[in-house]
Amino acid sequence: MHSIAYDEIHDEFVVPQQFGQAILTFRGGADGEEVPVRVIQGSLTQLRNPDRLAIDPVHNEIFVPQGNAVLVFPREAKGNVAPIRVLKGPDTQLGASALAVDPVHDLLIVGGNVRGRGSRLLIFNRTDEGNMKPKAIIGGPNSGLTQISGPFAVYPPKNAIVVSVRGSSSESNEMSSDECFVGVWSTQDNGDVPPRWTIGGPKGILRMVRGVDLDPKNKSVIVTDKRLNAVLTFYFPEMF
Amino acid sequence: MRWTYRVMFLTLMAVIAGWILVAGNVKLPELVTAALRQPTGSADLVYYDPLPAGAMDDEKCEWVPASAGTVLAAAPQDGAPALAEASGKKPVRMIRDRYPSYSAVAVDPSNNEVVLTDENLFNVLVYNRLVNTSAAARTEPKRAIGGLKTKIEFQSGVYIDPKNGDIYAVNNDTVDTLVVFSRQAKGDVRPDRELQTPHGTFGIAVDEEHQELLLTVQHDSAVVTFEKTAESEDAPIRLLQGEHTLLADPHGIALDTKNDLIFVTNHGSVHQVRPGAVAASGRRRDRNLQKSNWPLGFSNAIPGSGKILPPSVTVYPRTASGDAAPVRVIQGPNTQMNWPTGIAFDPRSNELFVANDMGDSILVFNASANGDVAPIRVLKGPKTLIKNPTGIYVDTNNDELWVANFGNHTATAYKLSAAGDTAPLRVIRSAPADQPTLSIGNPHPVAYDSKREQLLVPN
Repeated sequence: MHSIAYDEIHDEFVVPQQFGQAILTFRGGADGEEVPVRVIQGSLTQLRNPDRLAIDPVHNEIFVPQGNAVLVFPREAKGNVAPIRVLKGPDTQLGASALAVDPVHDLLIVGGNVRGRGSRLLIFNRTDEGNMKPKAIIGGPNSGLTQISGPFAVYPPKNAIVVSVRGSSSESNEMSSDECFVGVWSTQDNGDVPPRWTIGGPKGILRMVRGVDLDPKNKSVIVTDKRLNAVLTFYFPEMF
Repeated sequence: MRWTYRVMFLTLMAVIAGWILVAGNVKLPELVTAALRQPTGSADLVYYDPLPAGAMDDEKCEWVPASAGTVLAAAPQDGAPALAEASGKKPVRMIRDRYPSYSAVAVDPSNNEVVLTDENLFNVLVYNRLVNTSAAARTEPKRAIGGLKTKIEFQSGVYIDPKNGDIYAVNNDTVDTLVVFSRQAKGDVRPDRELQTPHGTFGIAVDEEHQELLLTVQHDSAVVTFEKTAESEDAPIRLLQGEHTLLADPHGIALDTKNDLIFVTNHGSVHQVRPGAVAASGRRRDRNLQKSNWPLGFSNAIPGSGKILPPSVTVYPRTASGDAAPVRVIQGPNTQMNWPTGIAFDPRSNELFVANDMGDSILVFNASANGDVAPIRVLKGPKTLIKNPTGIYVDTNNDELWVANFGNHTATAYKLSAAGDTAPLRVIRSAPADQPTLSIGNPHPVAYDSKREQLLVPN
C-alpha cells in the first residue's frame, strides 16, 4: 500500500488497493478488521494500478494518478463508477505517480517521471480535465528533483509543496542514498527551481525517504524512510 | 421598547457591514454569495483569505530557517528567496523498532541451525537450532549476514540447500534480486550468486530432484520457475499466470515432490492482464529488456478488472504453466484463512501447514483437501506465542514445526502434531518479551490523523 490520505473534515481515511484495482475508504477510527465504508472498484473506474491518491475534502473529490492520466472521483462514490474527470493527453505532459491537492488555491500538483524529461512537479488548476497544459512545471537539474520517492503534501497557507526525493537512479542508490531528502518548493515556482528548503538530507539522517505528511498544529513534517524502516518527525516551524 | 432595540441593532449591523466593505478586503459579491449559500449536506468551502501573488516572495524573513546550520547553495540571481536548508536537522522523534523482526524460517538439519530472515534491520540470522531463550533475554545468533553489499532488505522467503548449506533469500518489493550465500558467509558481504527476479517475489520452494527453483510473485499474481543454478539475468523456464490460475496476491509456496504438486497461499487481491501480451522485464532502469516466461506486469493490466477474493490455497501440477487452472482450491469461511502466508508440506503425513498471519494461528490441512474445509487442527492461543506468523518450516528430521512470528520478535518450535493452545518446545527471541513490537515493514506513505493526533502508517 503506497498511499493513505486522512480526511479531517469527514474523519475518514482513504487508501488505494493496487492489486485489486480499488479505492477503499474507512472510518477515521477504524481498528482491527473493519470493512471499508466505501469501495470504488469495477470496469467503469479505469483504475489500472491505483498506487497513490489524494483527497480534497473541501470539494469532495478523490484524485488518483494513473501514469499518463489523473482520474477524479466523487469522494462519496462507491461501487463501479466512472471518474467524473480525467486529465489526460499529450499536452498534460503527465507522468503521474503521486499528487496533492491545494483546495484553497484550487491547484492540483502532480509528481512523476517522464522518460527523457526526468522527475517533475506539474501544477494544474484543480478542475482541469482533458488535454490541458500545466500552469507551471518544476523540474530540471537545478531543482534536485532526481526521483520523486512517494506521496507528497501541500501546505496551502504558505503555498508549500513538500516532496520526498530519493536521489539519482543508480545501483548504489537502490537501497540507500546519501542524496535523498525532503524538499520544499512553492506552488508559485516554475522552471528549474531549487528547493527553498531541504530537510533530513542530502547527507542527512534520511537513507531512503518515502512518504511525507504534515502536522501544522505542531509545525512538524512527518516522513517515512524505507531503509531505516522508521517514521521520523521533524519539527520545522520555519515552514508553517 | 423592544422595537427600539431592534432598530438600534439593525443600524449597528449596517454600520459594521458598511465599514467592512469600505475599509476591509471583502467584495460585495462575496458577501452576497455567502449570504445566499445553502447547506449542501456535505463539507463545503465557505471562505478563504487568498494570499496575494508572490506573497511568499515578500516573506524572506520567514524563509530564513532559524535552525539551519549551513546554506546549501547561493541565493538565486533572480531575486527569489534565499535557498536555505535544514538537511542536518535531526528529527524530534523517530519510531523505529530496535530489534529484528523475523519473517521467514528454514532449518539446516545437517548443521543443526535455524536460519531466520529479519525484515526490520535487514539481516539473515543463523541460530543454534536447540537454543531456548527465556522471556527476559535475547538469543545470540551464531552468524549474521546484513549490510548494503548483501542486497538483503525485506527478505520474505528463505531456503537452505540440504547438500551444502547455501542460503537462498528472497527480497520482496524493494530489491528485485534473489541472493544466495554460502553457509560460511557473515557480515556485509556480497552474495555468492544473484538472480534478477520479477518485482514483488515473496515465497520460495526448491525442487532438488529436478533442480528447479520456484518463486511466487505478489504484484503480478504469478509463479515463476527458474533452474536452480540460475543467476544474473537468466530467464525463468516456466511461468504460471492468468485468470484461470486463480492466483491472487500469492505468498507462500510448497512442493509435494512425490505427487508432483505445488501448493500456493493467496491473500486474494488480483487483477487480470492482457492475454498474449509480451512482458518487458529486467531491472527497473532497463525495462526494455525482454525475457521469456516473465510475468505480465501493471503495464499489461486490464483496467477495472480487479477483484478482492477470499484467501485460498491453490494446488497445481508441478509443471503447470501458462493460464492453467488449479487442480484443487482450499477456500472459504470454514478454512479460517486470513492472510495465509507461509506454507509447508509434510510428505509423511500428507499435511499442509499454513502460517495464518492475521489469524495468529497455524492451520493444518489434509493436503488432499478441496473446497471450504475446516483445518484438521489449529495451533493458536496465548501459550503458543504465535503472533502474526509469516514464515513456517516443517523439519522432518526432528519432527518439529518452526514458526517465524513477525508480531512478537520470536521464532517458535513445536512438535509437528501440536494443536490448540500449546506452548512451544523452544523459543528464539530477538528481543526480551517486554519490548513492544512495532510491526513496521516497509513503511511507504504516512498520514497524520489530526483528530486523534495519531500517525497512520501502512506497511
